[in-house]
Formats: sequence, C-alpha cells, structure tokens
Amino acid sequence: MTDVSAMQKQSQVRIHLHTRSGDIELPQDTGPILVSTELKRYQLSTLVNRLLETEQPVPLEFLINGQFLRTSLDEFLTRNGISAETTLSVEYVKALIPPLYVASYEHDDWVSSVDVLSASSQAAAWAGNRYDGSTQRVLSGSYDGVLRIWNTSSEVVATGSGHTSSIKAARYVSPTQIASSGMDRTLRLWKCDETTLTPTLELYGHKASIDGLAAHAPSSRILSASADHTVGVWSTKKAEAPEASEELVPNAKRRKLSNTKPVTQRGPLSILPGHQSQVTDVCFDEKDATVGYSASMDHSVKTWDLTTATCVDTRTTAQSLLSICHLPKSSLIATGTSARHITLIDPRASATNVSAMTLRGHANFVSSLARDPMSSHQLASGSHDGTCRVWDIRSVRSEAMDRVGEAVYVIERESAKGRRPIAGEGVKVFDVCWNREIGIVSAGEDKQLQINKASS
Amino acid sequence: MAQQRAGQKRKVVEVPRPEADESEDEIVEGLINGELSDEGESEEGDSDSVEGFDEEDEDDDDLASDEIPSSDDEEDVRQQLRDLKTGGREITPDTKLMGSETGKEVSLLSHETAVRPLPRDRSDQQNYTISTDANGNPRFIYGEIDPVYDSDDSDAPAGGNTIGDIPLSYYEAYPHIGYDINGRKIARPAKGEALDSLLDSIDIPEGWTGLTDPATGQPLKLSKQELEVLRKITRSEVPGDGYDPYPDMVEWFTGKGMEEVMPLSAAPEPKRRFVPSAHEHKRVMKMVKAIKEGRIKPYQPISEEDREKAEALLEYASYDVWANEQAQADHPMNIPAPKLPPPGYEESYHPPPEYLPDKNERKAWEEQDEEDRDRDFLPSDHGALRKVPGYAQFVKDKFERCLDLYLAPRVRRSKLNIDPESLLPKLPDPAELKPFPTTCTTICRGHEGRVRTLSFDPTGRWVASGGDDGNVRVWDPSTGRQVWQIRLSREEAVNAVAWRPSEDTCIIAACCGETVHFLIPKNELCAPDTEARSQEVLSAGFGYATSATTSKTASGQDKPAASTWSRPSAQMQDRGCLLTLSLHTTPKILTWHRRADYFTTISPSTNATSTAIAIHTLSKHLTQHPFKRLKGLAQTACFHPTKPQFIVATRQRIRIYDLQQQKLEKELLPGARWISDISLHPSGTHLLISTYDKRLLWHDLELGNTPYKTLRYHSRAIRSVAFHERLPLFADASDDGTLQVFHGKVVRDSLENATVVPLKVLRGHRVTGVLGVLGVVWHPREAWCVSAGADGGVRVWT
Repeated sequence: MTDVSAMQKQSQVRIHLHTRSGDIELPQDTGPILVSTELKRYQLSTLVNRLLETEQPVPLEFLINGQFLRTSLDEFLTRNGISAETTLSVEYVKALIPPLYVASYEHDDWVSSVDVLSASSQAAAWAGNRYDGSTQRVLSGSYDGVLRIWNTSSEVVATGSGHTSSIKAARYVSPTQIASSGMDRTLRLWKCDETTLTPTLELYGHKASIDGLAAHAPSSRILSASADHTVGVWSTKKAEAPEASEELVPNAKRRKLSNTKPVTQRGPLSILPGHQSQVTDVCFDEKDATVGYSASMDHSVKTWDLTTATCVDTRTTAQSLLSICHLPKSSLIATGTSARHITLIDPRASATNVSAMTLRGHANFVSSLARDPMSSHQLASGSHDGTCRVWDIRSVRSEAMDRVGEAVYVIERESAKGRRPIAGEGVKVFDVCWNREIGIVSAGEDKQLQINKASS
Repeated sequence: MAQQRAGQKRKVVEVPRPEADESEDEIVEGLINGELSDEGESEEGDSDSVEGFDEEDEDDDDLASDEIPSSDDEEDVRQQLRDLKTGGREITPDTKLMGSETGKEVSLLSHETAVRPLPRDRSDQQNYTISTDANGNPRFIYGEIDPVYDSDDSDAPAGGNTIGDIPLSYYEAYPHIGYDINGRKIARPAKGEALDSLLDSIDIPEGWTGLTDPATGQPLKLSKQELEVLRKITRSEVPGDGYDPYPDMVEWFTGKGMEEVMPLSAAPEPKRRFVPSAHEHKRVMKMVKAIKEGRIKPYQPISEEDREKAEALLEYASYDVWANEQAQADHPMNIPAPKLPPPGYEESYHPPPEYLPDKNERKAWEEQDEEDRDRDFLPSDHGALRKVPGYAQFVKDKFERCLDLYLAPRVRRSKLNIDPESLLPKLPDPAELKPFPTTCTTICRGHEGRVRTLSFDPTGRWVASGGDDGNVRVWDPSTGRQVWQIRLSREEAVNAVAWRPSEDTCIIAACCGETVHFLIPKNELCAPDTEARSQEVLSAGFGYATSATTSKTASGQDKPAASTWSRPSAQMQDRGCLLTLSLHTTPKILTWHRRADYFTTISPSTNATSTAIAIHTLSKHLTQHPFKRLKGLAQTACFHPTKPQFIVATRQRIRIYDLQQQKLEKELLPGARWISDISLHPSGTHLLISTYDKRLLWHDLELGNTPYKTLRYHSRAIRSVAFHERLPLFADASDDGTLQVFHGKVVRDSLENATVVPLKVLRGHRVTGVLGVLGVVWHPREAWCVSAGADGGVRVWT
C-alpha cells in the first residue's frame, strides 16, 4: 500500500521547456523531460539553471498555459484540471522580482509627470558617447508649474520655472535636454546641466493644454498630445522649427511683467488634426521613428505617418483612452482606458481584432503606462486608484470574449499607508516610469514621487 | 332432574318439615279462603294491585301465599283475571307444592280445572333399579327422567328467586331466606311491619301498588298508563286511546250521484273471451311452419362463443373499474388508472425460498414503522392455496381506500403553471447596456457648504460648480483638480451655473443673489482666440442696450427697470467676471437656448409672478418677461432643442408654449405635488420630471398629458434629473444621498414605446441635514456623470 501511494505521490509529468528570451535559451532542445509533479518553481528553476550551466543561477519563473506557476506542479494540474499524462508546454522567463519601496521625493503640489535619466534610459542610449552614465537623475513636472531634477539621494538638483500653469508632461530628450509641456498650452525645451535648468525654446501651436509628450532624439522630433484634439509634431532644433503664429503667442505685455530674458519662440512642424476629442497621450513607434501613435478621449488610437503628417490608421475602442505605450517586440500598443483596464491594441492593418488582450485589475482610470526596459513582455501602469501595477503579457487566460491578463505585482502608494481611498482620493498616480537602474518611479496626487525597485 | 333434586332435598331437610307443612297449610287455606269466599283482611285493598299478577302470577302466588294472604274486594274482577290466566295458573301450585302431599292435595282442591296426576305418580315411584356390579356392590341404574318440559320449573325466569322449593317459613328464624345455587345467602327483603312503619312515615309514592315484584322481591310499580290499560282490559274495553269501535259507514257505492262512477258493468262477457285467438293461432302456425321448413331449430346447441361469454360473465365478477376504459381526452374529471407493476414472486402464496424473509428480515420489517416499510406484507409460504388465511389487513385497507376516496380531491386541478420570471417584463441585461457610470472615480473637494449647481463645458473638459460659499469653481473631472475659482459673493450662494453651449466661446453664466454673472475662466483654460471671442460676445450687447431700453419704455413703464446689464468692477473683470445682469428677483435656474444667445432665468420664490420667468437676449442685452400672469409658482423652464418651444414647469403643471405664435401649445398633468426639475430628451419628444414627492415621471410628449411611466425608487425627494445628450441614459439625484442611473431608450418609431431599465444606484454622497445630492449633469459625450452633494463634494462617476 505504502509503495503504491508513494508511487502515486511521485507521479511524473512530461514537460517541454522553452523560452522566448534568447539569452537564456537552452543549448539544444531537450525535448519532453519527465519531472516529478512534486516540483515547485524553485526546483524547476534549479533544474533549468543546471541545464543552462550558468555560473550564477538566474531566478526563473514558469508559465504554463499563460499562468505563472506559484504552487507545485501537482496542485497546478489539479486546479486547472489538466491530466498528468499530457505533455506540458512550460515557458520559462526570468523572474520578475517584486519591486520594493525605496524612497519618496516630496513636492509642493501634485506631481504630474516623471522621467528618469540613467545609463540605460532611452535618452542616454540616444546620446551614446556624450553621456557617461555616471549621473542618475529623476525629472519631475509638477502642477505648480515647476520642473525639478532630483538626484538619487532625494535632493533637488535643479528647478526650472517658466510654465505659467501646471506642467502635465516632461521628458528627457537627451541627457542635456528636457522637453516639458503643460496647461499653459506651451511646449518648452530646457537645457540642463549639473545644477541649472535653462529654457531654450518655447514652442507655441496648441490651443489647449498639452497633456502628453514623446521625444525621439535621433530624429530630433517631439510629439505632443493636446486637449485641442490635435497632435503636434515639433523639432528640438531652433533652426528647423518654423516661427510661431502671432495669435497663439501671449501678448508682450505679460512678458514684460514676468521680467525675464525673452526665450526664442517657435511653432510646430505640423499640427495633426483628426481626433474628435482631447488627445491624451502620444508615443513613437520604437522601431520606426517616423510613426507615431496617439490615444484620445474619443476612444481611438491613431497611427500617424510623421513624414507626411497624415493619419494612417484609426483603431476605435469602447472607452476613452488616457495613456499609450508601444511594445515593439510583440508589435502591440498598450493603452490605458477610463474603463479601468489596459487594452492591448494590435495596430497592424491585418489585425482583425482591435483588442488583442485586456489587462484587468485597476479600479480607476489608467493614467500612464511604462514599458519594462529589460523586457518587452512586461509593463507597469499607474492608475488613479492609487496603485501601480506590473503586468506580464505572457500571463494570460482566455475568457468568453477576450484574453485577459492579471497583474503580477501591485505597488501601493506609500503615502496612503495601505489604505485605498474611494475614488483614489489623494493618491492618484499620474505618471509612471520604469528604469533599469532606478526602478519604477511613479508620481501622483499625494505630491510624492515614489521609487520602487526590485531588490536583486 | 329438578324433581329428583327436590326429592333429595326433601329428604335432607326432614326435621323442620312439620312446621313448614303447617304454615303452608295455613297459607294455602288462606288462599283458598281468598279465592272462594271473598273474605279476609284486605291488607292492600286495592283492585289495581291484583292486576299486577297478570304476568307472573305463579311467583306472586307463591309469595303471596307465604306472607300476605291477599284478598280482594272486587271478587268478580279477580275471577275474571283468573279465568284469563287459567293455563298458567293450573300448573303453578302443582309444581310449587311438589314437595308436600298436602300441597298437592290443596292444589287439587283449589283448582276446578284438570289436574295432571302423572308427576305425582312418578315421584312416588322409584326411578331406579338396583343391580349388582362387578364387585358385588349394589348398583343403582336410574331410569329415564321425564323432564316435563311444560312444567313451570324448567322455564322459571332466570332472575327469580333461586332458593329452590324450600318453604320460606323454614328460614323465619334467620335473616336470610335461603341459599342460591352457589351457596350464598339470599337476603330477606324488607316486608311486613317494617313496611308498615315505613308507609306510616312516608306518603304513598307515585305508582305505588303495594305489591311486590315476585321476580326481585322489590315493590312493584306501575305507571298511570299501565294501570289505565289494565283497568280497561278488566272491564273488557278497548285498551288503546283514540280507537272508535263504531265508526260511521262510508257509503262508497250508494247514495246520490254515486251510480255513474261505479266501475263494474253488468254487460255480459264478450264472446272472444271464450273462443281461441285467431291471431295467436296464426303466429303459432307460422312458427310451426318455420320449424317444419327448418328455419328455426328449436333445440339448437349453444355456440361455443356464446357459452364462453356466458361463462365468463358467471365465472368471476372482478371489480376492475378501469378494465374497459377507453383512452379519453385530457379532461379535469378523468383520472387515468394508475399503472401498477405486475405482481412479483414475493407476492405468491408459495414463493421460492429465496424470497422468504429470514428471521432478521422479518424482525426488521416488524420493527419498522408502518409507513416506512417498502412493502406492506411479508412473503409467506403456504403449502396450498386453500391454506392461505384471510387477509388480515382487509378491513383496514378498505377503510383507508374509503378514506382516500372521501378525502382525496376528485377533480384534477389544472395548476397555474406560470414561471414567475416570465411575468416580469423582458429587460435587457445591464451588462449589455454598457457603458454607464458605475463607480465614483474622482471626488472634487473644495466647496464649503453645499454644492448647489453643476455644469459641464460644451467640450466636456471642465465642470463648473457653484455652491453656498458664493464661489464658482471649475474642475478637471478626470483628476479632480480645481483649475479655476472665483468668488462672486460673500453672503449669497451661487444658485445656478451654466456654460454657454457653444464650443467657440468659453462663458459661464452664474446666478448669485439677484445678479447673473458672466464669467470667462482664466488660467488658460481656453485658447486665446476663444477667450477673445467670448469677450466679444459679452460686450456685443452694450451697443443695443440703450435702444432696447428705450423701445421697452415705449411699451411699458416698469420693464426697463426690471433688469440692468452692466460691467462689473475692474477688479472683478480682472478675475474673470466680465458682465453682470441685475434682476430684482433672485433667479434660481438659468437655462441656455441651444443657439446660445437666449437664456432664461426663473425666480421661483418671487411675489411678482409676472417677473418670475425672464428670457434674456445676450447679444442685445435684452430682458423680456413673457408671462404677464403665470398660473402657479414657476419652478423651472427650458427651451425645446429643435422647435421654437418653451417649456415652463410650475409647481404642479408643465406648460409648453410656442414662442413664435406666442400661445400655449400643450399642458401636461404630471400629477405631482411639487416638481423639482425637468429634463427634455435631446429629441424633444420626451420629458423627465423629478418631483419632491419621490417620483420620477416620464412623459411622452406625443402621447398625452399624463405620465407614460412613473418611477418610484427613491426614499426621499428627487432634486434633479438629467438626460444624456447622446447616450440613452438618464440619471436622477435624490435627497437620500443616491443617484440612480437608468437606461432610457427612445425610438424614433412612434409605435414603439421607450424602454426604461434601471441600471445602477450610485452611492457615496453623505446626507447632510435632510439634503443629499442636489444636482446631476452628464458629460456631453462620455457616459460619465457628475453630481453635486450637499456634503460639499463634487463626484465624478464613470
């Protein structure tokens, strides 16, 4: 009897290991391996590490049928009603380590926007040799109209005030150049060095608040999303940009009152009309900088060809869209909606379904999205419910109408102290940024800039 | 036997005999005396008492002879009685006095009637012969005993005295009068002196006869009727009442007029009564002929079929009431026969042994409750069918069957088989009606005191709110950030806020106190060109103002004074308030016309009903009061979205006026006691009315003047109601702190009714005082609504 039960306990299952990341690919395809169903994630991870013959074991996660293995194989099979006789297709991925709270940077007003400069950041990558990668900076734009640059020891290195109203977006274009925009309808370029932040260019062209920015340094282009239903295309170069139209530049009287050195004013390369409502966010296609995507409150995502300044494609969903993020490897666009979820949109013309996948879990507007710099399968989202969530788009299950994913980790606001106030009152997250060195940086209504990092 | 026993007894009680003899003699003599000579003491002296003898005279005689020598005054009566009962009497003394020869003689003497000597002779003879048995002892062989069946002894009544033939005088010294067959003493009944003394002490009771019941020894009682009957019999009268022995003759056949109805006639019998019938002869001959020809076979054997039928009929009458049942159409009175399973082996009288229960099974079955048993019998084995006993439960079964028939309903009730769900109207699933607001996503806090009014800007980016703190605040509904704010008054509340419905201007009209303020928000909420246009629009009317006033003065004296359009102070202008309109009433409601040039203000709590409703023209700075006299207190008003119509709600009525023809178009009777708010569907054909009496009324303007639907879902007054401009949604706000969202689809086809589906109750506002939610507005495009709470919060629901 005991022998039989022992036999049953040690029942085995055939698994087929594979991965989508090239650096941890098995030297040769092992084919189906018989493993005990007793195994858990850790044992499987050890097994794969042994197969990989890595010197330093890499923690791995295992995805079976779009679900992360959190229990033993046996329990997993029982819960999902899978026979132990089938060959399991097990995908292994580098483990996502839970991001832990690191620090909070206190602001005077709501923090609307955040960006990070570090060796691995996009701006640094574009700068190439001009940036040594030694200085790590965090840029924050606030509702009080002040742009701040922080170092990693939570000190303000430089402040830039020039916006006459709240800043809604701020981005590093290069390690020395910053673009910011806000409710004063202007887009401003700043030159930054170690301690100062000097305005270099004021770009006029939008008739309403500019809520989103995207920069691409190699082509020196900036995309802006404005509440006047248009997308603006701007150049970072003074010479390239046309003159600003007289109507939109505020009268000189106020300028004199402000009593500062006049800043060069320029206009947009083009203003792209087409949206029926406020444009909330824009992004560049990470593979092809001549393509931009914009998300709007009119429920649609538009694909723009920037060279010809035309709308190529419109994908209409059922909700107002508040944020957008391009996932280059899977050729998907993630958009945060007002219906409290994240919709992954396939922008290709051949795609039949508008929504490729839905990530559910947020309890309020999804105001911002950030891609994992290490992987194109993972993304972080910030929501008005006061949480940031980390998602893995490989972890997915099929529901009646849709493929639905769930959050891997939830990052609470430290200021909320574990509470989740109704309607995210006081803890709304307005922007989130994910950097390899710094971690997940989020900013919100609690006037804090919060850094969470996976300890590894 | 009795005789013999009597004989033996006599031998045994030989000693006291002479006394008894004497006494008996006396008594008998007394009796004789009484009988023959009419003499003797009349102790009872009652003729009635004599008649008591009529049944049991022999015993009575016996007793009477013992104790009470009875004698009668009415001798002839007695004689007659005697004569009647002769048959009974003549034996009595004989048997009674069997024991003594004197008695016998006396009886002989006393009766003139025939005396049978036989019993006396017999008793004298020895009824046995003595022979010698095998041992040489004498052996008595008894002869047959003549039982004398008609003797009195044998059929003496069972309840009588059983002391035997012993004269009572033997027991005079004892308290008892003898022994019964079991040897127990029989008590002596009270008599004689004791009775006399008793009679002396008490009155003679009803029905007292003075006689003793010979059977029991108790005094004999006769009722009046019985005595009467006896009396009549003794006098040879008809004993019963109401019988007339001599009725008058009924003349049936005689007398006058009776001759005609006499049924008999004297006519002679007709001849045909005496000759054979020719007709019968003819028929018989016919049969004879048929028999001769062989058409009728007189003694034809019965066919097999017929015989079987007859046999089957005779054989067994089974009472299967459903045997010949035809399939019937389903009818309430027809109950089809239950289908019984065929009998199994265990029901056999001689089942195979495996069907017989063993001890345990039998015990278990017996211990089980009768209702729990799986079958109501135990299989039992009988060697032959004839050994099968009667069915023990037969009576019980029949009784229960009768109970069933009596108690069970005979009529099959057709059950009303309706799924209650199906009675509900088919409402679409709320999930299919998405989008609609479900949760609170933003709370805008900043107002002190109640927020009274709300308005979305035409693009849907901003929400303006006005409250008790005299401020107008503009919010970003997605983040909850207050983007602009202006204080209009320190004392008075902002009663109404309304964005001008035009996308190329950015103007808020706000009613505060008696003034309407026109605001252009600062903080770069609108584009510079928009701002410029807005300023133009606001200042455009100043050119007209004077001319308008003058023209009005020509028509009426008081009107120009009713309103003043003016620029506010420079400080206010700097803050964003560019135009004010002063009225002499307090406007509570401000509604724009779709062209954004006209707007109406309503001042409900005014004394002057003529100025309660004013229509203003912004471009000309003109104010008009369209109603000279308004019936009822004006509550709210709005413009028709497509037609030149103006809808005015007073406290209880809704009136629709045609603005071009300036006449009343229609009047609605919502039946509400106090209307709080109205909202016109964007198509202009449906009107929603919210009332303070907790009702929400849906009026189809094309249907009539009574509500199409009444929705009672709130527990408190409803303050506000709003249709969505594009989506089939509407929401109401109530003092119970909730908002309710409905799906209200209006179809262009007038044949199809509007569908109203309750979707969601939005809770979150705190009830402060008695006020909950004061206002609700919809986002112009999205399914988002914003509510103004008395708790000072503005909530955005998405």
